[in-house]
Order: sequence, then C-alpha cells, then structure tokens
Amino acid sequence: MNIKQLIVIAGILLPFITLGQDPKEITKKAYDITDIDAMEIVSTIKIYDAKGNERTRQTATATKRFGETNKVITQFTAPADVKGTGILIYDYDNRDDDMWIYLPALRKTRRIVSSEKGKSYMGSEFSNADMSTPNLEDFKYKVLGSEKYNGIDCWQIEAVPVSEEVADDNGYSKRISLIDKKTDFMYKTIFYNFDGDKFKELTVGPYEPFGNGKYIIRKMEAVNLENGRRSEMTIDKIQKGSSLTESSFSPSALEK
Amino acid sequence: MMRYETFIEKYRWWLIVVPIVITFLAAIPLLKTKINPDLERYFPEDNPAVQSKHKIDSLFGNSDPIILIFETKDVLNAKTLTRMRKLSRAFNRATEFERVISLFDTKQIRGEEGMMIVDPVIGKTPATEADREELRQEIRGNELAYKLVVSEDFTKTLIILKQANGVTDEEAIRKIDEVLLEYGGDETVLKGGSPYLRKHLNDDTTRDMLTLLPIGLIIMILFLAISFREWKGVFLPFLVVILSIAISLGFFPLMGWELSVITVLAPIMMIAIANNYGVHFIARYQELNAQNPDWTMREITREVLSKLKSPVIVTGLTTIAGILGLVVHILLPARQLGVAAALGIAFALLFSITFLPALMMVMKKGKRIKSLENETGFLHKSLSWLATRSSRRPYHVLLVFGSFLILAAGGIAFLHVDSNAENFLPPGHPFRQATNLINNEFGGTMYMTVLFEGDIKDPTLLKRMGQYETTLEKDPRIGSVTSIASVIRIMSRALNDPGDSAYNRIPDSREAVAQYLELYSMNGDPEDFEDLVNFDYTRALMTVQFRADSKNALDEVIGEVEEITAKDPNRTIIGGFCVIDKELSEAIISGQYNSLILAIAIIALLLVIIFRSATAGFLGVLPLIYTIIALFGTMGWLGIKLDMATAMLSSIAIGIGVDYTIHLFWRLKQEIATGKPYQEAIHTTLTTTGRGITINALTVMIGFTVLFISSFLIIKYFAFLIIFSVLICLLCALILMPSLSILMKPKFINPKS
Repeated sequence: MNIKQLIVIAGILLPFITLGQDPKEITKKAYDITDIDAMEIVSTIKIYDAKGNERTRQTATATKRFGETNKVITQFTAPADVKGTGILIYDYDNRDDDMWIYLPALRKTRRIVSSEKGKSYMGSEFSNADMSTPNLEDFKYKVLGSEKYNGIDCWQIEAVPVSEEVADDNGYSKRISLIDKKTDFMYKTIFYNFDGDKFKELTVGPYEPFGNGKYIIRKMEAVNLENGRRSEMTIDKIQKGSSLTESSFSPSALEK
Repeated sequence: MMRYETFIEKYRWWLIVVPIVITFLAAIPLLKTKINPDLERYFPEDNPAVQSKHKIDSLFGNSDPIILIFETKDVLNAKTLTRMRKLSRAFNRATEFERVISLFDTKQIRGEEGMMIVDPVIGKTPATEADREELRQEIRGNELAYKLVVSEDFTKTLIILKQANGVTDEEAIRKIDEVLLEYGGDETVLKGGSPYLRKHLNDDTTRDMLTLLPIGLIIMILFLAISFREWKGVFLPFLVVILSIAISLGFFPLMGWELSVITVLAPIMMIAIANNYGVHFIARYQELNAQNPDWTMREITREVLSKLKSPVIVTGLTTIAGILGLVVHILLPARQLGVAAALGIAFALLFSITFLPALMMVMKKGKRIKSLENETGFLHKSLSWLATRSSRRPYHVLLVFGSFLILAAGGIAFLHVDSNAENFLPPGHPFRQATNLINNEFGGTMYMTVLFEGDIKDPTLLKRMGQYETTLEKDPRIGSVTSIASVIRIMSRALNDPGDSAYNRIPDSREAVAQYLELYSMNGDPEDFEDLVNFDYTRALMTVQFRADSKNALDEVIGEVEEITAKDPNRTIIGGFCVIDKELSEAIISGQYNSLILAIAIIALLLVIIFRSATAGFLGVLPLIYTIIALFGTMGWLGIKLDMATAMLSSIAIGIGVDYTIHLFWRLKQEIATGKPYQEAIHTTLTTTGRGITINALTVMIGFTVLFISSFLIIKYFAFLIIFSVLICLLCALILMPSLSILMKPKFINPKS
C-alpha cells in the first residue's frame, strides 16, 4: 500500500470516524459530569459594563435533588441593599421552572414567572440557560471537527435550535462548543446572533473533581461581544452534599 | 504706463483661455464630492444645548427616535400582529438600531395572585375573538403601552427605533425600507421623527431646487435673448455666471469643506448676482453700437470698458463686503458659504473686466438694435416715462415710497421667529400626516430629556422625580413622561395588593428600591432600563414627550420643564433636539441681524471712501435698508415665519440691492459731467443704464418664478422672497433714487455745483 492509497482510504474513512461520534451524546456527557445531586456553595458574580464599571453580587446557594426535581435555594449576602434577598428554584426536567423570591424590605415572598431561557441571570451576561442544564431535545447537533484549546484536543460541536420559537426563547441562532475529547469538559461556547455573527463567548473552567466521576466548575466568564459587557462568576467555597431537608426548600422557608 | 483697455486688447487670447482653464481645474474635484445631509454635525460645539444633548446621547443613546406608524382597522388582528412580530424581530436583529420599542418589545409588568409577571405585551397571537378582547383589556391597563405604542382606538400601532451610535440617518432609513419591503402588509405605514424630517428637508428640497434651477436658467436665457435680441447678450453674462458657480463650488473640495444643504445657496447667489456685470456690458455695447454705427467692435469694447470698469469694480466690492457678513454666522457651513460666494463674486468681477471684454474684442460686431436707435422699444418708453415722472414729481415718489415703507414696517410687529422645520413641508405631505397622528393619538413628536445625577436608588430623589412627572403630565401638551421612578411605581403595583400602603408608590427605603430592581433584573431584560438609568445607578434620565404646534408652545413646554425641575439638587442638565433647535434658530436669527448691520456699515463706509462723500454712503445703503425693512415687514403681513433659511436670504438682498444704485449714480455722474441738466441726465441714465438694470432684475425675477412649481413651501417662500427683494431694489434704483437726487442734488454726483 503506497502513501497515495493510504490517503484515499483515510479520506473515505475520516468522515465516518467523525460521524461515529454522536454529538448529542458528547453534549449530554459534558452536562452530566457537572450535574451534582447536592452541594452548598458561596459564589461571587461580577458584572462589568463596557467602561469597566463593576457590580458585585455575593450569594450562598444550596442545591439538592428530590426525585425528579432539582431544588436550588440562593441567598444574597452582598451588596448591603439586597442582602437577605432569597431565591428558590424548582428545576423540573420536563416543564418550565418554578421560581420564588423573598424580598426582605417587603417581608414578602413572591413567585416570578419566566419561560424565556435567554433571559439574563441576575442582570449578568449569563443567561438562565447558561446556569442550568438545557433541554437536549431543543437542539440539533453536529460535529464540525476538532480544535485545540490551550493544547487540549477538543470536539467542535454545533447546536442549532430546532425551531424559531426555541431560537427566540434562547436568544441565539446557534452555538458552537469546544468539548474535551478525553474528559468531556466543555471549555468554551460561542453564541451566534440572528445575523450569523458571534455575539457572546462563554468560557468555563477550571474543572475540579468532586467525587463519583463528577466535577465542579470553579469559574465561568461570559463576554457580550456586541455591547462590551462582561460577567464573571467564581465559586469561593464548596461543600459536598447538603444537610438541608426538603422543607428548607419551600417558599415559606425563604423568609427565614 | 499702458492703458487698461490696451492691456486687455493686447493679451485678449490669454485672458480668454486662462479663466476657462482655471474653471475646469476648479470643477474637477466637484465630480468626486458628495452632499453631506447631516447638518447636526455642524452645530457649534460650544453651544450649551448642543453639549447637553451630546452628553445625554453619550450616556443613554440617541434621544431622537424614528417613529413608524402602522394603521389598520384593528391592530390586534392576527395578520397585523404577525407582521409586527416579524418587523420587531428584524429591527431588533439589525445592527443599525440600538433600541426597538414596539408592542413586542414593550413589557407588561403585572401582579397576579402574588406573582410578579414581566412579559412582552403580546406573547402569543390571540387566536379567538375572546382572547383578542382579553388582550385589549390588558393593554388598556398597561401604562407602558396604551397610547404610547397603541392608539386609544387600537387602529394604530408604533414601532419606535433609536439609531445606534455612528449610524447615519441615511443608513437607518435604508435599513427601514429594506425591512418594510421584506415583511410587507396591508397596513398604511407613515414615517415620522426628526431623522425623517431631516431627510425630507435635505434630500427632497435640495433635489427640487437642483432640478428646478436649470429650468430657471433656461428661462433666464430665453428672457435675455428676447431682451437683447443678440446671442452675445445671452452668452456672455451666462458664461460669467457658469464660471463663477464652478469656482465658488469648486472652492469647497479645494479647502476640504463638505457640500451641505446650505451650499445650495451658492449657485442661487451667483445666478442672482453674477450676471449683473455682463448684462451691463452688453447693454452699454448695444447702446454705443446704436449711436456710433461706424465704430469697430474693438473701439466699442474699449469705450465700454473705460466707462464701466470703475462702477463694476465698486459694485463687485460692495457685494463681496455684504456677503462676507456671513463669516460671523453661527453655523460653519454658512460661514463657508460666505467665503465661497464672496470668492465666486470676486472671480465673476475679475472675469467681467478681463475675460468678457477680451471675448468681446475677438467677436464680430452685432447688428444695431433698431429700437435703441430710434428709441421706440416698450422698455425704452416705459423707462423714459418713469424718468419724466420721477424727476417732475419727486415729492409724489417720496410720498408713495414713504407710505409703503411705513405700511410694510408695520408688518415687522407680526414677524414671528419659527424653528419648527415641519412647516416647510406641504400640508398633505406624509411626514406631516405622521406628525399629526403622533401628536393627536400618541405622546407627541418632540422629546426632551432631563438628567438626574446622584444615588438613583434614593427614594427621596425617586419620589421627587415622580412628583415632577405628575405635575408635567397635567399639561395637555405633554403626552408622556417616563423615568425609572414611574417604572418602580408600576413594579410596586405588581408586588403589592391594591389597598396596601406600598401599592402604586415608590417605597420608602433604599433597600426596597434595590430589591424591586433586583427582582426585575431576574425576569426582565437587563437592557429594559438602559435608556432610563445607567449601569451603576448614578444617573437617571427622564424623557418628556410632547407636542408643540408653535414656537410659543415649544418655548412654554421647555420653560415649564426647566422651571419645575430647576430646584432639584440632583438635576444636572436638560437636553433634546428641540432645545437645540430652539436655541440655535434664535441664535442664528440674531446672528443674521448682526451680519446685516455689519454688512450695511461696511458697504456705507466703502461708498463714503469711493465717492469721498457721506451722502453717497447714506444714499447707497438706503435702498438696501428699504428692501430689508420691506422684506421683513411683508413676511410679517403674509405670515411667513423667519427661520434659518429665510433669514439668510437677506444676504442675497444685500448682494444685489446696492449694485443697481451704484450703476445708476455712476452713469448719472458721467452724464452730468458732460454738462447735461439734472432732468435730462436722469432721462439718459434711465433709458440706457436703467435698461441694463431692468433687464438684469427681470431676468433674475423671471428665472426664480420657476421655483413656485415646487411642492415645498420653503422653496416657494424662497422664490417669493428673492423676487420680492429684487423688485424692491429695482424700484428703489429706478424711481426713488432719481427723485432723491433731484431733490438733494448731492455733491458727489455733480462736483461742480
């Protein structure tokens, strides 16, 4: 077999090798390894506008899975004017999330409704979708090829919304993610607007082992390429598991 | 030393070729230049209103939106809603616009069973009649939408677009046309907002002017041909006009200046002024030709030159001085126009005493004009009659002119300054329909902004802002007032139950304000408040939308907003295009008065020096002052408002007003020097030089009548005012000046007396 023949065979086989990788499966794995049943964290979100002005939010969050529902409770610890504000989210697998908020100044718990996944998370460049596991069925996936990210061999996976409605809900026309071929870490996702231009870059990592084959993301950064705003979320403290009972994840518990 | 006439004769070929070459060279860069329609960029940077608007625009984006109105029987019908949804999406995706406000972008903040819901006004298109009525009820209760993006009767809905930074009117309008074409529909679409007004004024009026002017030129050529009955009479004066237009316009790219709407005035000024010199040359040549059948063309030209070069130089200099008055103008393009037009006139003058006689010398002598020989022409008879009347009954003339002046001057009391450029467009114009609709059924087309700086979450500041809103909204002219304060109040309705003390009011603690906003940021869009408050809540903008159909109303609303917010320690500046418009037009008009006075003073001084007589200075500027008073007075009587454009016309009046009189005095002086008595000298002057003046004036007047065809009021006014100015200048020169010289017998005309 000479070199020419080798190249021809490689040329015929290569598409099959790439196609052999199920892009949906890769994406699912990438989400699964960070899907943790129970933990408590302290995190900081910093939001910068194009001029470099900064807004900081500090929160304490507990998350725990009860059956099919992932329940998340978050309490603001800074800045002072929103300290004590609490958020409770019931993240259902098959329907829109439920969300309650407690405002200490009003001493009242309110339920807020939002079906738009493209909406901002706490006024940051992260969308609600960036913060939770997206519904896999909402997108069509394709392996575009391979790319090195910081010297690591990654899959380039494109996800396109299945319908206009999904596109509008999420606020983008497609996204391309770089996922580590070996570890399934998703390092970077680029979002494209409806003109087909890049408008947002989400960088994720470093990943830290959390036991049971799961990983915790230490830092996330989202840059809005259109308006120059940038948001950064860091996890300052982590605790495995949570001693909280299901009753602590109820709207009435928010007020305590 | 060589006589000037000999010099011209000797170098005639050089004097013909060089100007033509110069003109060609000047015209070449013109082929590459484009007209820049954006006048706003030229607004003086040191004007406080301009600075305020720039500051507010840099903080909160463009405060001067484009408004699209869609009209149909019921805007909530499925087809219209589908179109509006597509349009809203397309505009949101377009990079030309940083903000889109429509039914699909406006938010609905409401409380329902303890929930706060923030959603677009329209989620899903209502499928049934019942759904539609439910939506209608919802919109009626939404003060962020009702009567702001949907009309009271639901027959109209708006899309409000704010241009992104650096996007020109042209680019934005092109994108809008593209999107509207892509997502067509049966709804009637009207387009409003200052960007469209600027477009209509700049492009449409300029286009109208530039297409009508050549027609005017052809009519002027025809009229000259009829008057002179000789092709030289048409060709020579017009050649000078064309050359001077090319040079004055060619000066713009040469200096690196941009052509703007105001530049259109340059060719108009050249047409009105620059043919004057050539016309006098032809008139004098025909006169000499008729009187001296055996003279050669060169002899005639030498004689014409020796008699006319001095008055032509003097009229040229006074005109240049008058036009240079524009260099003190507030707007840069007007200053540039002053310099370029003065240069054009200078060249017209130079060509008239070099190029023109040189050409005449190489031309064949034309036939003698019979009517000049036996003095039978209609024009001759009329002028002769005028000469007799004005010299026999000078007091009658003074009485008539005096009464007219007093009558006209009375009109100055009714002369109003107007800055509302909408009135330039004809009443049925789609833009005016759009404006009327927005004024009658929505908040109005004028926008004013008030900037507050400090701790915006401070409830005492927010409460004050809320009070200003309530007070301002009582004025029926004010359609809406929006600020972060009203949004927080609306949130309080969603978060509290009616009857609760916190319902529909700004909370008392800073924490509560912060928490309301935090809550909103979790289910609204962070960009929702971008034009209300800045990122770190240190600046907030209050936008007042209103309608004003007159300058008075505009002044009153602006004054009201100023006064109500004046004492607020956090209010820093007030902005808006209407404030700039108001201040600038006032400044421009007062500036115009200054340049008029300056020009008159300079012209008077020049005449005093040239004639070595104070009387000459006085008599010379008299027709000028007379014309300007008559012009402003007549505008007052006819209800023509004084604005940027009409005010600049007075500069043209200055350019021509003094010329006729100078030619008249010069000839009169020459005739009296030959020993003729006054009455006879006046008779000769009027039938000879008077003929040139009359042909010159009538040519300009007839040429400009073409502009009356234009559908634009501003162009019609323009034409009327130019024709009126020329007519008054002509009457002053032909009737008033001869009568005055008979009465005063001034020394500068008759040094021996």
